Amino acid sequence: MSKRPNILFINTDQHSWDALSAHGNPYLHTPNIDEIHRNGTSFRQSFCTDPVCAAARSSWATGLYTSETGVPFNGGYLHSEIPDLGQVLSVNGYNVFHCGKWHVPGRNVRESFQTLYYGKRDIGAGGAAYYDSASTHAVADFLTNYNDDEPFYLQIGYVDPHDVCEYLHNHEEKWIPNPLEQGTVSEDDLPPLPENFDYDAQETVLHRVCRRVDDALIHAAILKGVRDWDEFHWRYLRWNYYRFIEKVDAEIGRVMAFLRATGLHENTLIIFSADHGEACGSHQMFQKFTLYEESVRVPFIVACFGDGIAVEKDRFDEAHFVSGVDLFPTVCDYADVSVPEQVQGMSVRPLAEGREVPWRDYAYIESNYWGRAIVTEQYKYVTEYKPKEVEDFSPPGPDAEQLGLAQLFDRQNDPRETENLVGNATYSEVVKECRDKMLAQEAKLHRQQITHPSPKRVISNWGERLRTYWEHSR
Amino acid sequence: MANSNTQHWSFDYNYGSQNPQFAQELLQTLRGYSREVDARQTQVGQTIKHVYNILPNYWRGYSRDDTEGPLSIGTATVERSKDDNLWRYSVQYENTTSGENLRIQFHCSDSPYRPLMDSWRVDARNSGEDAYSQLTCAGHLTVDGEVKLRINDTEIAAGTVDASAELTCNWALFDVIPALAQTIQTSNDGVHIAVLEDLEQLRPKSRLGSLESIQTPIRLDGYYLYGTGLLPSYWWLDAHGDTAIVSTFFETLVLKERIG
Repeated sequence: MSKRPNILFINTDQHSWDALSAHGNPYLHTPNIDEIHRNGTSFRQSFCTDPVCAAARSSWATGLYTSETGVPFNGGYLHSEIPDLGQVLSVNGYNVFHCGKWHVPGRNVRESFQTLYYGKRDIGAGGAAYYDSASTHAVADFLTNYNDDEPFYLQIGYVDPHDVCEYLHNHEEKWIPNPLEQGTVSEDDLPPLPENFDYDAQETVLHRVCRRVDDALIHAAILKGVRDWDEFHWRYLRWNYYRFIEKVDAEIGRVMAFLRATGLHENTLIIFSADHGEACGSHQMFQKFTLYEESVRVPFIVACFGDGIAVEKDRFDEAHFVSGVDLFPTVCDYADVSVPEQVQGMSVRPLAEGREVPWRDYAYIESNYWGRAIVTEQYKYVTEYKPKEVEDFSPPGPDAEQLGLAQLFDRQNDPRETENLVGNATYSEVVKECRDKMLAQEAKLHRQQITHPSPKRVISNWGERLRTYWEHSR
Repeated sequence: MANSNTQHWSFDYNYGSQNPQFAQELLQTLRGYSREVDARQTQVGQTIKHVYNILPNYWRGYSRDDTEGPLSIGTATVERSKDDNLWRYSVQYENTTSGENLRIQFHCSDSPYRPLMDSWRVDARNSGEDAYSQLTCAGHLTVDGEVKLRINDTEIAAGTVDASAELTCNWALFDVIPALAQTIQTSNDGVHIAVLEDLEQLRPKSRLGSLESIQTPIRLDGYYLYGTGLLPSYWWLDAHGDTAIVSTFFETLVLKERIG
């Protein structure tokens, strides 16, 4: 058997799938991630499991959906008995390392991985400006010193472009003039408003209560700030978002350069992805926490800069639906390590090698504990569970009777998700098919009751707010 | 959104619980520093040192539980001396959030643009608990304008600078902006430069422009640095030409001491 490969999983944070030059975006320059794409296969139908950091990362770590991991939002706690990728690889002969952002509450990264760098104050949600450069230093030091016979698995968690959240927080309590009034950029410098700047008035109750109402459950202070924005503020948000991405792209460039310079690139598999995307003005929304495309669709590239690992290069895979749960089994496949029985994901290795294998025809996504979506080639179906009358802290589903409002979008004819087709009788059968597909997927999950008091408090508080909204809207 | 504590949108951060402590500490630091000497009248052999207090723009330097004590999360010191036609810079940057402390040494030609010369060195130390403890990154500029970086005897290319561009370092901007202040203010399109950020990241398309003047209590003239791959940073000079405030995206440096 040939030597098992080194595996380098590079992840960025809050990075939408199309915010790359390689994907045709003209408003930013990402030569280094583009180079990864040129040396590998980019899966264009790649979706996070849950559009928020901790939840999505709990899926990377375990290969499970977030209603299974115990981390259905940032305040969750990973169920203690679920093995993580570091644990599985390390007992199977891999040296496992972590550098940068982890953000899987309930699991001490230092117990599952050797940490190269994790901040003086442990890295939490944001802070790329403090942490990303140091992470690159740590990885450069590691790569230029690695001489072990055993292969390594190294995951690098870059924080950018998540710092766009801090850009937004800065608008909470003070007025910042738009960039034209500042005199810093011209209108020509700014990306246009997104085509889908308007939003659907029939969004789910969950989405309204979490993100739209005055006292929204998530970042209401930012919402209050951006309500005073004009067109140029929104366009400047996009301009800044792309600069954050360029910044992290440069960090990745240095890592790639040292990988090549050390010769390790020949036998190192590179996986690049992001935990979730960024709304960036689409649907007049910011950050993540939504089931719209910009928030849930992420890059996923499998590459090798050398010839030591068979990977189809410079190729877009448009056909296969990839999910955050697939990272775990993909890494195990390349590492020749058995996958724990409960893992939901599938290895993308055969796809990256250009082989046809049976594959799922949809992506399944959860959000904010009660939110759900199914994405197929033609449609996206978004819905929600109503909060239970008496909360038992078991993640909801599958239960058709408990479903609340829904949205249906035609991805082929309306890729920006501007027209909700749920109320259109022509699509009633499509809605039913999507709903059935979602319920069937949920029937395969191994949900566990949330037991940690902190997420239980969140579920109780949020559930109460949702129940109140439902009652008032009758 | 107007706030009575607001000094200027580019540096007055008051997120959540730290309001209004940020403005208080910023002004307190500003009032305290000594400003007798004009940096532009520096003589050969003289050493000038500026010491900056680092204030976090967000969440008390990412330790939200720490609600007591000063906001400061570290110190940045920029020291330079002139030796014939050469400026020798030594920068120390200590940050208690990242835990990575940098000592940066580089040389520049004696021009308002402070072009980088020959070689430089970045010594990094991590005071955190993890495997990465220290690192030296040595760099140099080739005659063809290529930036080379070397770590642990492994060398990489970090980009190429166009022959027409003036390549400087962000830590030299403390002198470049005062020296070019008039030029920046009178230029319609700003002043174009190339920046090697922290002596490692090449930002070949960068631009210096001017903002308005404000009274904080002291008069400050504003400038900005924009560019591809750069988050905007805002630079405020006092009447003596000292860089009194630098607000980058994530932190604000406030001049607390000037020696020399």
